[in-house]
Amino acid sequence: MLDEIRTLGIAGASELLKNGELSSRELTDAYLKEIDSRNPALNAFLDVWHDDARRQANDADERRTRGESLGVLDGIPIAIKDNMLVQGKRCTAGSKILENYIAVNHATVIKKLNGTGAVYLGKTNMDEFAMGSSTENSAFGSVRHPRDPDRVPGGSSGGSAVAVAADLCAAALGSDTGGSIRQPAAFCGIVGFKPTYGRISRSGLIAMASSFDQIGPMTKSVEDAATLFSVMYGKDSLDQTTADAEPFVPAWRSGLKGVKVGLPVQAWGEGIDKDVRSSVESAVKTLSDLGADIVDVDLPYSNEALAVYYIVMPCEVSANLSRFDGIRYGRREPAPTLLETYLHSRGEGIGPEPRRRILLGTYALSHGYYDAYYRKAKKVQTLIQNAYASALERVDVLVTPTAPTKAFRIGEKVNDPLSMYLEDLFTVGANVAGLPAISVPCGASEGLPVGMHLVGRAFDEASLLAVARAYEEARGNG
Amino acid sequence: MGMTRDDIASIAHLARIGLSDEELERAEKDLEGILRYVDRLQKVETSGVPEASASVAKAGTFRADEAHTCSEAERDLILKNFPARDGDLLKAPAVFERPKR
Repeated sequence: MLDEIRTLGIAGASELLKNGELSSRELTDAYLKEIDSRNPALNAFLDVWHDDARRQANDADERRTRGESLGVLDGIPIAIKDNMLVQGKRCTAGSKILENYIAVNHATVIKKLNGTGAVYLGKTNMDEFAMGSSTENSAFGSVRHPRDPDRVPGGSSGGSAVAVAADLCAAALGSDTGGSIRQPAAFCGIVGFKPTYGRISRSGLIAMASSFDQIGPMTKSVEDAATLFSVMYGKDSLDQTTADAEPFVPAWRSGLKGVKVGLPVQAWGEGIDKDVRSSVESAVKTLSDLGADIVDVDLPYSNEALAVYYIVMPCEVSANLSRFDGIRYGRREPAPTLLETYLHSRGEGIGPEPRRRILLGTYALSHGYYDAYYRKAKKVQTLIQNAYASALERVDVLVTPTAPTKAFRIGEKVNDPLSMYLEDLFTVGANVAGLPAISVPCGASEGLPVGMHLVGRAFDEASLLAVARAYEEARGNG
Repeated sequence: MGMTRDDIASIAHLARIGLSDEELERAEKDLEGILRYVDRLQKVETSGVPEASASVAKAGTFRADEAHTCSEAERDLILKNFPARDGDLLKAPAVFERPKR
């Protein structure tokens, strides 16, 4: 029974809570016990909040007894990526420089979730400052793939992906700047959803690249992703890039008659692992069986999106990470002068990958190079946004693999930053264009999961999730 | 566009990141590969194309320019995070150094 309830996800567990067949305390204890037994090997959680979680679970149970349940998330245990602030709790972003940093206030998403009665199990491991595609860049050690300890879970939200896939929580929060929710979701065989840029407040999310960063759910089903999304989105006075957009109203459908699915010809060329290709091709066949029209579409500049990203993102990183100087908070290396204090605090507190991106960004923004790099990239970004807009006038969703490979071996790409960056090839376009995108599991080969990636129109998450869920149900039934 | 070891040393200094010689050498190699990859953008014709705005979000609103207070709990946490303090004051290295004798 305990093993089974951990696999249920939000909707399933919520049903049992509602019927009185299960208490939040029982469910929370089941997860905590599993975390205690498996986390030493998986390293998915950086902090586990046993006492707080049990107290929150008891509160949820009492509310339910009184007939005052707060709804579907009340009493549901979730995990939070360690770059989102929970007041009074440590928040490291996977970095030594923030090893002892205590969050001063709540992120907006946490404030919103507090109103739902969700139980927080703890904080999940991640690539330092969310920079990486394998979670090997965490200052607190690599996260292990739940099905093969010699492989990576993807990244940067690798801890959250493993926590969900290994049944250590009902659902988790991730953040996605170039694919950091979707690629680990694909590697671990779960659902990972990045909403439209501007949907979810970034207030209290430790910034990596502010014009791309977006928080999103990592879950066992598309329905669970929709549940978390529906409570987290909305305009926020603390994040002026949040949009006053149309409300999200799920519009589930079983068939896909009348839906046009576009396969970008530029993306389906060389460089895709053959097992990944065949899994996603058979998923496309399922979409077609459901009644969708499958058409090839031209998506120019697809191959330039990654280059745009690897200029604009480091520029924003170099600015955002300048705040970590060891003066007001975080690690300070005592030194005789202010300059040496900066050099040592940052040199020793910030790890190799963030340092690499800070250098790249500082260079690209420096006098004499700004036009050639940053300005040029921002112009090509316009072309990419237009290309997506025009493709999405002809089709409803764009489908590719989520990542070009399956979960790779620990250490395989760690010394070759460019090959690691190529992991983002299919996901990064949605960040550069600001569009919603989701990875859904579409099979496995040799025990390693594969994800299908779907991109939809801006602020029309309902249509995107409907296609993803129709596929998920057809695959589940088939 | 190449990047010399001296360029990297000077950029690291601007970014206030202390790097050892070994790290400088490694950075030179890594950054060269990445810059070669992103140079593909130079071939894209962009005359007359505007730079992308921040996002597709219908954003661009401004809040009133007024002070926000914080709670006592937040204040305590801010003080607790100081790497060095003197009472409620933040201790930091001096900005101006005394000339060496």
